[in-house]
Amino acid sequence: MNRPGIKTALLRHETVLLVVVVLEWFCFNAMGPSFGSLDNTFDLLRHSVGIGLLALAMTPVILTGGIDLSVGSLLGLCAVLFGKFWRDAGLPIPLAAAVTLVCGAAAGGLNAVLIARWRLPALIVTLGTFSLFRGLAEALTHGVDTFTNFPAAFLFLGQEHWLGMPAQAPIFLLIAAGVWLLVHRTTLGRSFRAIGYAPEGARYAGLPVSRRLALVYVLAGIIAAIAAIIYTARLGQAKADAGTGYELLAITAVVLGGTSIFGGSGTVHGTLLGTAAIAILNNGLVHARQPREVAGMLTGLLLILALAGASLPKVLAQRWPRRQNAPH
Amino acid sequence: MHGFAMKKFLLPLMLAGLGFLAGCGKSSGPNGDSLPAGVKKISIALMPKSKGNAYFISCKAGADRAVQELGVELLFDGPTDPDPARQNEIVENWITMGVDVIAVACENREGISTALRRARNKGIKVVTYDADARPDARDFFVNQATPEGIGFTLMDEAARLCGGEGEFAIITASLTAANMIEWQKYIEARRAEKYPHMRMIALRPCDDLKDKAQSEATALLSANPDLKCIMAICSPAVPGAAEAVKQAGKAGKVQVLGLGLPSENRRYVHEGVTASVILWNTENLGYLTIYAAHALARGTLKPGDASLQAGTLGTLPIVGDNILLGKPVVFTRDNIDQFDF
Repeated sequence: MNRPGIKTALLRHETVLLVVVVLEWFCFNAMGPSFGSLDNTFDLLRHSVGIGLLALAMTPVILTGGIDLSVGSLLGLCAVLFGKFWRDAGLPIPLAAAVTLVCGAAAGGLNAVLIARWRLPALIVTLGTFSLFRGLAEALTHGVDTFTNFPAAFLFLGQEHWLGMPAQAPIFLLIAAGVWLLVHRTTLGRSFRAIGYAPEGARYAGLPVSRRLALVYVLAGIIAAIAAIIYTARLGQAKADAGTGYELLAITAVVLGGTSIFGGSGTVHGTLLGTAAIAILNNGLVHARQPREVAGMLTGLLLILALAGASLPKVLAQRWPRRQNAPH
Repeated sequence: MHGFAMKKFLLPLMLAGLGFLAGCGKSSGPNGDSLPAGVKKISIALMPKSKGNAYFISCKAGADRAVQELGVELLFDGPTDPDPARQNEIVENWITMGVDVIAVACENREGISTALRRARNKGIKVVTYDADARPDARDFFVNQATPEGIGFTLMDEAARLCGGEGEFAIITASLTAANMIEWQKYIEARRAEKYPHMRMIALRPCDDLKDKAQSEATALLSANPDLKCIMAICSPAVPGAAEAVKQAGKAGKVQVLGLGLPSENRRYVHEGVTASVILWNTENLGYLTIYAAHALARGTLKPGDASLQAGTLGTLPIVGDNILLGKPVVFTRDNIDQFDF
């Protein structure tokens, strides 16, 4: 397990997924003439940033064996708060964004306290905050108030180009790199996997489990707030319905990327590939002139196949235990 | 853990999935391939607010009719999930694909305008229908109903049902709703001009709730024994008022009419409680949208034009940058079953 040979590296989940993504790309390129264009590549990047950020936020959470269903709702709440800070409180955009990040961290902190300190199940806690955050966003705007007419300098972040790519892409890549380093190159990141693999074991090994758990949920809150600000810049509007359903897409991307839903194993680059697989599917089908329903279907199919593929050997081994030992 | 063995199965399975995907694509091949050959068809991309909505399915039926008559290519797609950014995403894809015209029923006025402005910057014509975007984000809005058309039709129909005289009451959504205040203005103007013997005795808000509309109507019925007609001008109020009239045993004695969906009121219309339901013809809305999009792409529709030739709908007026669908349709027992939205 420590030093995988070339053969295992080739058959690793991420490698397989990479092949799938590349095949997807060529497939759609053949089907829709505009798919491979530079413009569309930029569209692809732009569209994957929202889900991609939430998937990045979700990866450490799931690695610890947890789940955060509230990130999509928190995106909506942060978008509304950002709008309120800027329009109603009159804060300049950078300050409004900073305060929004603090709010995101605080919201993540609420999840953290309930899950890490009070040891409540993450699924239940974040199901609660999923409703709570969305409800707050709706209450603050009565469901109809829409924040708009943001200054052009801010909209630049979501709609224009910078460094030869969509302006939000460098931010996304920076955060992706940050999360990758955290998960794969620090003891902190290794502890996430240890906690997910065996929480009690991690505790006995002297890991500060509660503090580490709290960290991943607060981090998720902050990233959701960043996603909210980028989302607002892309659409030019902040409304309470922002990010509806994103939490499930983010979880899909993470699990498709090979992270075990039970925690303990998974990678950040797997998550990025999972995000790309879903984004290319959604975008490519439009260019191939296929109706949108197909995208949902194929995303589901892809996920089920990935999961089935991962657990099939186990099932087979249980059903025909002798077969593995039988001489050939 | 189950490191090696699982991957063995993963690869073929993934590939099988992809095979399926590629298979799906092949079937659409001829469609796409025929485009570059010969004269390029005008391609119109049409987007509903949401894809499964019966209202928009009937718009699509009208659009299909226009597409056949005009020989254009139609791309029809829209959100299937509640993600409010999805309309933007699809529009942005259409821009990259280089369609000629984009026609959208806007879910988020501000948000979608961002994407539509970008389309216009790229030289793509933009039409909105059903629900408008920001005026600077589109060329024309296909307006399904003007306040004048709605107000006049409601009053004409009420007068017809009451024989031109007697008391009537209005149930509205709220006393502050801008569009309904506008409609009431035209209802009153029509009454004063053509039906001086009709008298409006009450105006009640129902907060856009069917239950509240029902209790308001019940109160109106007991307080006003001479009431001849209840006019419900927000859609939940029509079945609400009908239920009240039915339970009071006054079906046929007190007429109910209003602005709503035929499907929500079909039962009461057949029971003889609700006399007429008023709404625009959604099929014609889709039909007109495609004609407007086509004319824009051909350059036969330009800013400042005063009318548009729209196939079987004839010549329709344009006011400013609004193409008007014309007078709403009155659904009665005779024709309500022909409409399934």
